[in-house]
Amino acid sequence: MLQRKRWRFAILAILPTLAIFAWVRMYPIAETLRLSLHEWNILSKNKPFIGLANFRELFQDQLFLTALVNTSIIAFGVLIVTIPTALVIAALIHHRTRSRFAGFYETSVFIPHVVSLVPAAMAWKWIFDAKLGPLNALLQMFGIPAQAWLFDPVLSVICIIVLCSWQALGYAVLIYLVGFKNLPVSLFEAAKLDGASGIQRFWHVSVPLLKPITLYVSVVTLISAFNVYAQAFVLASDSQGAPGRQVRVLVLDMLENSFRNYRVGYAASEAVVLLAIVLVLTLIQFGLLREKGRS
Amino acid sequence: MRAHRPDLLHFTAARRAALALTAAAFMIPAAASAQTITVWSGYPEMAPFYEHVAASMKDAYPDLKVNVEAIALREHEKRIALGLTSGSAGVTVIELAGSTASRYIENELLPAAPQAVSDFVSDEANFGSFFVEAASRDGTVYGVPLFRGQGSLFYNLDMFEAAGLKEPPKTMEEYTAYADKLTQRDANGNPTVSGWSLRLSGGGQGIAEKFWINLFQYGGSVIEPDGNGKWRANYANEAGRKTLNQYLQNVHVLKTVTPEMPADAEAFERGQTAMFIRESWVIADIAAKAPDLKYATAPLPRGSIGLPTNLYVNAVEGDDAEAAWAFTQAANEAENLVWLLDNVGWLPNRSGVDYTVVTDKVPAYGAFVDYPEDYAFFTLPAIGPIEEVLTRLAAQLTNAYGNPSLADDDAAIDAFLAKAAEETNTILKREGLLAE
Repeated sequence: MLQRKRWRFAILAILPTLAIFAWVRMYPIAETLRLSLHEWNILSKNKPFIGLANFRELFQDQLFLTALVNTSIIAFGVLIVTIPTALVIAALIHHRTRSRFAGFYETSVFIPHVVSLVPAAMAWKWIFDAKLGPLNALLQMFGIPAQAWLFDPVLSVICIIVLCSWQALGYAVLIYLVGFKNLPVSLFEAAKLDGASGIQRFWHVSVPLLKPITLYVSVVTLISAFNVYAQAFVLASDSQGAPGRQVRVLVLDMLENSFRNYRVGYAASEAVVLLAIVLVLTLIQFGLLREKGRS
Repeated sequence: MRAHRPDLLHFTAARRAALALTAAAFMIPAAASAQTITVWSGYPEMAPFYEHVAASMKDAYPDLKVNVEAIALREHEKRIALGLTSGSAGVTVIELAGSTASRYIENELLPAAPQAVSDFVSDEANFGSFFVEAASRDGTVYGVPLFRGQGSLFYNLDMFEAAGLKEPPKTMEEYTAYADKLTQRDANGNPTVSGWSLRLSGGGQGIAEKFWINLFQYGGSVIEPDGNGKWRANYANEAGRKTLNQYLQNVHVLKTVTPEMPADAEAFERGQTAMFIRESWVIADIAAKAPDLKYATAPLPRGSIGLPTNLYVNAVEGDDAEAAWAFTQAANEAENLVWLLDNVGWLPNRSGVDYTVVTDKVPAYGAFVDYPEDYAFFTLPAIGPIEEVLTRLAAQLTNAYGNPSLADDDAAIDAFLAKAAEETNTILKREGLLAE
């Protein structure tokens, strides 16, 4: 009887939270799934059911395929750059914990994460500017010719990877630092007694022990990078056509299809594809890192 | 207890009376200041104009509150799509191109104008038929014409003089020849000041609109009507080939301009380009940002885009709606239109207004109002998928402009244009608008 009362109380206590979660999280996802099977121009009251026609069209749409490839390159590029860099920086900061500059190191790495995205992207736009930017000025000092960073199809994607990684790094470092601080000191002392060098201790003790942290950070980084939009928008957009190639990414393509082309059903089908990709990749990451963690 | 009852009743009655009086006191000014309208604009530079119009209505509408919300065009488009469909916009005056408004009118999200407004718009003394048609659908007036985007050539007089050029180019062939002469280069031959600033990159449909303006000079158009309400792509032809090849010649062969060079009005104002094609708002922009710049304007070889922008209201009934429609007409008062031209630079559409006080003062407006008799105009068709057609063409053109192997290769250019035109026709077909 008491058990049942406790259960009832627990369910009643959690119900408001569950209701809010269902309303703001689950309902939009379900609605997006439903819309992806319909043709809807956002203005009309009619939403005819068209089955998988949106998905069939999607995989013949050159702009969508370009956006898919670009987004995937950017997401994995950010992951590849951010995770190892964050791990190394966190290790260096942790190693210098007792230094009076420790707080300064942590703050300076974390600041890009809290800086508002648009002004930060504007600053990077100036850095990458082919004619006026300091990056090309620096390269030319070493005899390297100036590059069209924001127009070249390859370089413009690299620019977005750099900008996203710069922003993601602070958060990843912070989480890794928490991980480092919770590692058992005895293991490092034992390794030291066995003659392991600092690099060996990092590679053979820290990195394996930090796998749960790596899993969390990489999942968050990858999902965030797949949702890249503002960076691509700010680096290219300018009402007066200032140099900048519009790097087509999935979220940008969705917005364009929704509000410029008035094809909300079609945009919803893109959102479903993005959801599926992120879901599959997250499951793969969980599988890989947990399996290796156990072994 | 009985002795107290009347007192209590009396007190309650007194309190009720006091409450009623207080409520009435609050309600009287509330009723008097009930008129509130919002103005949505897609051009931030238009905000002072709408505030000026609101100020001019103070005598007739002393309690009218006008909230002007002017944001960038792309965000404005999203706001309209979400605001009108959700019904959360309130009574709003909406600034919108006629070609874009057609979707909203088709879906009954924008009502027809009240009779008095319709009569004002339809009066030949107020607006030419081109503008009336752009604000109407099937003969019914939905919007009030206000201003238009119209292109002309802007050229730097000092740079022309330095290059020995006495007058602006008159043919598209001359445009390229002039661009070559005007380009300034460093010791390695790389351009430092572009001869002719072309729209080669960026987001949205602007790239395709600019391409269409050049294409029009060669006699082509992005899409053409068949006369029965259907359309087809019209650029996979000689006009399209000449237009695209001119871009490629300038970018890859003559290198009069490169994609990474500063572009457009900003570059012109800083002396980083010698000439470019743009709308009249640049004149006011130059006056504000580069008042010492020596420049002139000239009509284009064949004609220009004429992109009328109208004011719509999302309601017809109620005090607020009445004030909103009055606002659309106040915006077309002669004094306000002269203010618009003088301070913002967009060209007003209303006829019968004396603009000479501005055009005499600023000769650069000459090319926009004194053009040859056979000067032709085109506008974006009022069909649903026009934005998609242009946005997708823009994405294709950006790739073409960056591809040096296309330059001077007619077969490759034709293949590119045929593929792009096929995509345009596919969109039209999907919407049931493709001409046979």
